Amino acid sequence: MTVEKVIGIDLGTTNSCVAIVEGGTPTVIPNRGGYKTTPSMVAVTEAGKRLVGHIAKRQAITNAEYTVSAAKRLIGRKWTSPQVKNAVSTSSYKIVEGPHADVRIALRDKEYSVPEIGAMVLQEMKVIAEDYLGEPVSKAVVTVPAYFNDNQRQATKDAGEIAGLDVIRIINEPTAAALSYGYGKNAEKTIAVYDFGGGTFDISILEIGSSGVFKVIATAGDTFLGGEDVDARIIDWLVQGFKDEHQIDLRQDRMALQRLKDAAEKAKCELSSVRETEVNLPFIISSGRNEALHLQRSIDRKTLEDLSGDLIERTVDICRQTLADAHLEKDDVEEILLVGGMTRMPKIQQAVADFFEREPSKGVHPDESVALGAGIQGAALIDDKQEMVLLDVTPHALGIMTQGGYFEELIPQNTTVPTHRTKIFTTSRDNQTAVKIVVMQGESERAEENELLGEFILTGLRRAAKGTVEIEVTFEINADGIVSVHAKDLETGKEQSIDVTASSGLTRDEIKNMMEGAKDFMVERRSTEEFEAAKQEAERIVGEIERLFPQVEQIVAASDFGRDAIDKARAIVAKARAAIAKRDVAAVKAEIEGLSRTHRMFKGVVAKTH
Amino acid sequence: MTDDSGKKPSGKPPQGEGSGDAGENDRPTVNPPFDVEAFARAAGGSRFPRDAPTRPPPNLQGSPGEEGRGQQVTLTNEAELEKARALSARNSERPRPITSSALSIADDRAKSSGTIPPVADATAPASIEAAVLGALVSQPAPEITERTIDDPLAEMRERFSLGDYTGALEMSELILADEPGNLEAAECGENCRTVLEGMFAAKLGALSRVPMVVVPRTQMRWLSIDHRAGFVLSLVDGSSSVDMILDVCGMPKLDALRILHELVQRKIVAFR
Repeated sequence: MTVEKVIGIDLGTTNSCVAIVEGGTPTVIPNRGGYKTTPSMVAVTEAGKRLVGHIAKRQAITNAEYTVSAAKRLIGRKWTSPQVKNAVSTSSYKIVEGPHADVRIALRDKEYSVPEIGAMVLQEMKVIAEDYLGEPVSKAVVTVPAYFNDNQRQATKDAGEIAGLDVIRIINEPTAAALSYGYGKNAEKTIAVYDFGGGTFDISILEIGSSGVFKVIATAGDTFLGGEDVDARIIDWLVQGFKDEHQIDLRQDRMALQRLKDAAEKAKCELSSVRETEVNLPFIISSGRNEALHLQRSIDRKTLEDLSGDLIERTVDICRQTLADAHLEKDDVEEILLVGGMTRMPKIQQAVADFFEREPSKGVHPDESVALGAGIQGAALIDDKQEMVLLDVTPHALGIMTQGGYFEELIPQNTTVPTHRTKIFTTSRDNQTAVKIVVMQGESERAEENELLGEFILTGLRRAAKGTVEIEVTFEINADGIVSVHAKDLETGKEQSIDVTASSGLTRDEIKNMMEGAKDFMVERRSTEEFEAAKQEAERIVGEIERLFPQVEQIVAASDFGRDAIDKARAIVAKARAAIAKRDVAAVKAEIEGLSRTHRMFKGVVAKTH
Repeated sequence: MTDDSGKKPSGKPPQGEGSGDAGENDRPTVNPPFDVEAFARAAGGSRFPRDAPTRPPPNLQGSPGEEGRGQQVTLTNEAELEKARALSARNSERPRPITSSALSIADDRAKSSGTIPPVADATAPASIEAAVLGALVSQPAPEITERTIDDPLAEMRERFSLGDYTGALEMSELILADEPGNLEAAECGENCRTVLEGMFAAKLGALSRVPMVVVPRTQMRWLSIDHRAGFVLSLVDGSSSVDMILDVCGMPKLDALRILHELVQRKIVAFR
């Protein structure tokens, strides 16, 4: 019996990547275009067609209102969160409030939940894997940033479910990168993962233990700092240069801007390997005087470094702060892994080496390591012989709010689950008969800076002086990640509890409906692809036959038999065309045989007479 | 349908045909692989006359010898139509009466069929065609003729019935600019777009085909194309199909098809 394969997906802010372990070797699966990463972009065209990946990226500026990028910044967040407010004011697409105080994205005539958008990208990754493997895939390990809370993780799982994937494990991105680094090496050390991607920057300090626990000691970052900011600097430079020369602002023309964006990204990538490159965009804009103007400009590595120097410095500042917050010295870090496409830039490699006073490891592929790590974990989960198994840990500390708005931690970050912890609290006021238990998640001492998970009230407490009534609070996390919180008055034995289940903001019914929608879309997509393939083949043969018609007609002009053959051939071509017009895939496929026969016959006739 | 005799059908102007044909003869006359008239009728709905396409317009009557060849009158080649329209405008001796409610239009195609710069408003649906045609035809600029149309709806219907879908579309847009709620103009415009999209798509062949740029990169900047055509050209990467280019270009499908067709006609782009 063959074991079903588990794919590993790096669901990135700007790009996603899918990997699998084949014959013991972790491999990234290329998409149909041959690229190993796929832009995490979704668009809906004017005609209502859904575009995902590279094709969505190519029209991202010309169809900006209906192209979603960086949806990961919104996943699992509440409408009222500051990150959502920020995104509302900076995104080109429309973000609206959902029915459960969640976030929705308006595209054309429909509002999509963020997990639904994530599902479209995951579905694309699933298709890439299925096309490569030639078999259906239904299980996946998906990565998320280390700072994602339970709701964000649950939303990512929901996205997988909508896409038709059973997300058997969610793992942290730096952990995945470390897994790909430590695969088969039996490493046991403290490492820093410097992840500078297209849309976000993260630095994580991890302790890799031999017991299978990858502890995230510290993590920090900037969710609005990435390679796109560097692209924007190049675009500014090009636009200004063009304006100086022609007094025309290229930003006024979306088509020009789309080309500039593509060219800036290309130039940035090229400058990681060459010292100078040329941006050549002929016919970029109309001069308004019967001529199209061209943009042709050279850019060198030094210019790029000057343009992006402050952005690189920001990442170093975050690294410095993160080490300080974790009370770590640079020497404590034994290895530095570079992750994310931006880390190909020599200036960044140099900045990291200068800061940590150590050469970063280049043993992992910056674009692929996270997906490879997820693929490795996926293989380990289904293979009993594999030794390396990650243990589920709590991504953030759990606790309750206490007097003065402080956060009292009960279960620390990185605790392996299942687990339970108990703590005794007392009343804070004289004659207090009720206490409110506010359950929170996070690392901040200030309760307001942490994520609210739920709350309940324990009533019927004995009237007494403050500090004399004792209440026992127990936190329990079961193997499914469900958090139960119990509060018990130790004197009266009165008890109250709450179960906290992470939520993406979607109800089960909504998820079910979205799954149905995603399934229908896939059926339609597969059927369209099948039809297009058949149509293409039929049209190719029709073209060949039509090319031969005049010659064959000339050859057989004298014979009645020949005339009959020509008429039959015309009838076959007409039938094929009619089948294409009706979009009847079975009929088109059926006609291909007749067309091929006719084509062979025509070719034979022509060959014999020449 | 094209005229078997090689002559221009009744749309031919009485004078000055020689010089105008030089550039046109270089261009293949490719008929779409379907009956355009039938297609137009099917797409046109009931508002438009079904018998009109075979009847030459009163001011474009052919010579007596051409009578009875009604089925050959309708031009199906867009470029021929455009030239015929330009010449028609130039040779029009009897301007239409001007009334106080008249809608005045300048014939853009007449302007752009010579070396006159492309129209400034590059977003107008017909402007790409005008610009590309302007770049294609190296003949002296015809005199710009401004004429006034007192019944734009009738003009639109007439153009549609003559198979001049670009002209009819232009009229419908002018009417809609003045009167956005005009259902007949909206419907006619939509039908024209459908017909024109079908025509250009048929000329390009299967939309799943992958075009590629055949002009050397070094010579690219010497081409005479406008920035919108330049944008479409930038999307031709040798791996994207016509369908994909239509999806990502962010411009109306008709404009994109028209530009792609012109790029193919001018041998800037070819199919694998």
